[in-house]
Order: sequence, then C-alpha cells, then structure tokens
Amino acid sequence: MATTVITGRDLAMTIATKNYDEQATSATLSADVTIETYDTLYSKAYKSIDSQWTFDVEMLADWGAADSLCEALWTAAESAPNTALAVSLTAVTGAVFSFNVLPIFPSVGGSSPDAQTVSMSFTVVGTPTETFS
Amino acid sequence: MTASSILTSVRTPLKTAIQGVAANTYDSVPESPIVPFAAIVPNTPYLQPSFLGKGNVKLKVNLVMTVGVAIYDNQSALDNMEKLVISILAAIPSGYEVGDVSNPIPLNIGASEILACEIQLSTYYTQTN
Repeated sequence: MATTVITGRDLAMTIATKNYDEQATSATLSADVTIETYDTLYSKAYKSIDSQWTFDVEMLADWGAADSLCEALWTAAESAPNTALAVSLTAVTGAVFSFNVLPIFPSVGGSSPDAQTVSMSFTVVGTPTETFS
Repeated sequence: MTASSILTSVRTPLKTAIQGVAANTYDSVPESPIVPFAAIVPNTPYLQPSFLGKGNVKLKVNLVMTVGVAIYDNQSALDNMEKLVISILAAIPSGYEVGDVSNPIPLNIGASEILACEIQLSTYYTQTN
C-alpha cells in the first residue's frame, strides 16, 4: 500500500459545535489504559481493566474575541462544571472522533513579549465514539 | 469583499503606527532610505503555518524592522538610535510580538554610511476571501 501522510493541517476540532481551528495549534486525544499483569503458574496473563481518555489542546489565547473559546470555557467551568461539552475531532476526512469533556478553567496570562497561549488537558467523560468511512 | 493581504493587514498597519515617531517609514525594502528611517522587511523564516486545519491559510508572520540613523558622530548617532528605537517600541500596536533589538552596526547604503539595528517582530495572519 502507498505511504499515507496526514498532518495537523488535516485536523478539525469543534467544542460545543463551534470550530476553533483558527486558534488551536495542537489537539491530541489519547488514552491511558490500565493493564493488570497476573503471574500464573503457567505464564504471565494480561488483562485490560480500565481506560481514561484525555483531550489536550494548545491554542493562542482568545480573550475578548467574538466567540472566544477561553471565555466560553471559563463561563462553563464556573456555572456548570459538571455539565459535559461535546467535542468532535476529525483526524482526517473519514476519521471522526466524538466525545464529551468536562469544562476546565483556561490559564490566563503569559510571558513577555510572546503571544499569550493556553494549554488545556480535558478529562474525557466515558469513551470516544469513532466514525470511520 | 476585497481579499486580505499581509501588506494591508500586517505591514501597513505597523508602518502607520510608527509614522509618528520615525521620520521616514517603509513597509517593504526601500531602494535608498532617507535617514532617520524604519523599514519593515521579512525575517527568516518569514511565514510559518502553525494552526490546525486547512480551510483558511493561517500563518505566523516574522518580520524585522530595520532602523537607521545618520552616523556623522558616533556618540550622537548611538544616542539618536537608542531614542528612536525606544520611541518605536512604545508605538508598536498590540497584536505584535516584540523580540530582541540587535546591536547597532554601520552600514553602507549607496555613497553614505548609516548606523542601523534590527527589531525582531512577529504576528499572526489569517487569509480572508
């Protein structure tokens, strides 16, 4: 099969149905899988017992902008911290991952004289659902 | 709606902002600048794609502002340079990252010698239309 290359330019991300590609410089969905190891008389046995998903986003801070993600997240974390937000992450056309995250407060500020950036690590509620076509 | 450009969205607004403090301003490489001057020219790397997606072209734009003053006398030339650079730094609008200022060096432009230094600048640009 021919070599396939997909890049960050193929990514698309929406949080609560709004697209934030123009602010985001990185978006990564990853799982921390807990695998227990049992040492039996016969041999080692392995059992996957849990997985916790995390959604990491790095972006330029957009405080004060129309449809600001930072402001939307701040408001959600303040007023409804236990209400999940729907996220859609398109790795490339034909591979879309849908999941929910709990809102968190974005960091505020940065170092002079650089552009203010925000790094957020969201806890995913449940397990993402995938659509491969 | 007219398509945006780096000239109209990035370089010209920067030039306009410093016109009040620098006698001669240029938003591209001037053929024969008249001192004292400030010229906004591309840095390297010039344009850096750094955002997700490809629906719009979104770039980090790296620029250098070259500042030049007359060099008739070393002490006054350096003093004039420092005053001009500080005035320019105060006039740069928000939305531009201001980096280091290089050491002043003598430059020969045509038949004249000037004292010049460079201010590192960066900003972000999204193509519309």
